[in-house]
Amino acid sequence: MESKFVYLQPTPVRIWHWLNALGIVTLCASGAQIRFPEFVTICGSYRSAILLHNTAGIVVALSFSIWFFYYKWVSGALTSIYVPKLDELSHPLLRQVFYYFYGYFKGASSPFHATPDSKFNPMQKSAYLAIMFVIVPFVSLSGIALLNIGPIRQIILMVGGLQILVIVHFLLACMLGAFLATHVYLATLGSTPLAYFKPMWTGWEKVGHHHSSEKILGTSD
Amino acid sequence: MESFYQNVYKMVLAVSALSICCMLPHTGQADPGFSFGNAASGNQACLDCHSDMQTVGDKNLISAAVFSHTTHAMFGCKTCHDTVSSDHPKDGTVARTTTCTNCHGDIAAEYATNKHSHAVPNCNACHNPHKVLKPNEISALAMTATCMNCHNHNTIKATHAQWLPQTDLHLGSITCVTCHTTAKNFIVSVYIAHRDVKADGTSPVIADYHYLSTKLNSRDVQYLVDRNRDNSISIEELKMFNGDPENKDLYLKAILTPTKTSHAFQTSDKSWNCTFCHANGPSEAQITRLVLPQQDGTFAGFDVEKGTSLSSLNAIPNFYMMGSSRNKLVNNIGVLFLTGGLIMPVGHGFIRFMTRRNRRKE
Repeated sequence: MESKFVYLQPTPVRIWHWLNALGIVTLCASGAQIRFPEFVTICGSYRSAILLHNTAGIVVALSFSIWFFYYKWVSGALTSIYVPKLDELSHPLLRQVFYYFYGYFKGASSPFHATPDSKFNPMQKSAYLAIMFVIVPFVSLSGIALLNIGPIRQIILMVGGLQILVIVHFLLACMLGAFLATHVYLATLGSTPLAYFKPMWTGWEKVGHHHSSEKILGTSD
Repeated sequence: MESFYQNVYKMVLAVSALSICCMLPHTGQADPGFSFGNAASGNQACLDCHSDMQTVGDKNLISAAVFSHTTHAMFGCKTCHDTVSSDHPKDGTVARTTTCTNCHGDIAAEYATNKHSHAVPNCNACHNPHKVLKPNEISALAMTATCMNCHNHNTIKATHAQWLPQTDLHLGSITCVTCHTTAKNFIVSVYIAHRDVKADGTSPVIADYHYLSTKLNSRDVQYLVDRNRDNSISIEELKMFNGDPENKDLYLKAILTPTKTSHAFQTSDKSWNCTFCHANGPSEAQITRLVLPQQDGTFAGFDVEKGTSLSSLNAIPNFYMMGSSRNKLVNNIGVLFLTGGLIMPVGHGFIRFMTRRNRRKE
């Protein structure tokens, strides 16, 4: 049977994704050592953990800025790709939730099929809305503030002091860590456990016959 | 011979005074500093001239107020300046034969073990005997300022920046002697600092007595924080201080200081080990002292409720020692979030495994 493929993830997106993945995993590991040095020594010395955390933090913050800049001002697709429409938040969202928590177990197929213009299902959109528009920006901003405590001490005092800033940074990071676990798990829910990982590596996603449209750019046996 | 008996008499008086001081009940309140004044030692005759700039000039000027606060004052001027004659200053002799090592031999021996003693062999270079105060009577910034008389701040900063992350922050939150001597017993000393200082993070400006007293209409600055006047600072009192709109121009600045200083200048192994402070934290760092300026220019410390600096959320809002001052409640909330993230992989994964047959391809 002929398999059809859609070019879903362009090279810059894949580079951006894996750079982010590496950065966030590094941040989680080094951050855990920074807060719990008695229990976590994965990065070696405490100083190494700090330097690694600072470097990864800057990389992820820059990566986020590039992502935002590109989708907002270059492609202009930020809202359409990442922000769920109101009508998506009712029936389509429930249908997707129903699929994940019931239909999937019964062997039903996903009600949503990704295209280059609509990559995310309503559940993904809702999750990414929180991740990319709340958690990542604020964890980055609080991290940048923690890197510049001296110069912006007045601002830190205004928001309640260093401890508040650290609490915000830590709890948002925990949320991001929780998302990471869910994100990786959900990526295994394709037709095979690696079905959703391959497109993020090669760019091409295997699709069924109902996707045979002009957006399908290649075929493979 | 008469001079000898006079000195013995003064010594007996001084020891008696110290003994009485030690017998006073210790209520956990600050060491207010013991002023021997001039009565015990008859220094007034000397100070009549030596506290007058016009008479003796800048070089020989002694502040009677500060000198009276030093331990040296109790021994009297003539204990050290034992060659002063009745013709002083007309006879032109230098009225001093006693050296610091006569009394401080143990410190001199300790100091002689490091290279500082070769570069700066004279105690007076760092310690003016007419001003020298106990470590708990001076501010942490004054401790560091002594080092900065010789060491250039920019050079120090550049040297530390080669290996120490957040250099400015560290230099502004630790005294030099905390890391560069064999000093022990580190506590978190909390000062009241001005907010509106240059924001380079290295030079917090500690509010002086006169500034703070204006907020209290000249009442004792202690009551700015110690609202119930029990000579002990609770977490609640610190929160009240932080939340008081009257104190918006101030903040609590914490600095890690040793309670027992040392003259063995060396960078000990602990100083290279970040986790000495950033893991559980030195156990003494659980002790916090609120250090307030006094009217006579000295500082006095007040006991603060245990656990304030490392575990309380907003008692000292701008103090955070990574890895050490982490709040348990916040830790638990974080773990709760992470556990929530595992619900999908674990819960959904389990049902997925149990229903795997439903998804087998025909």
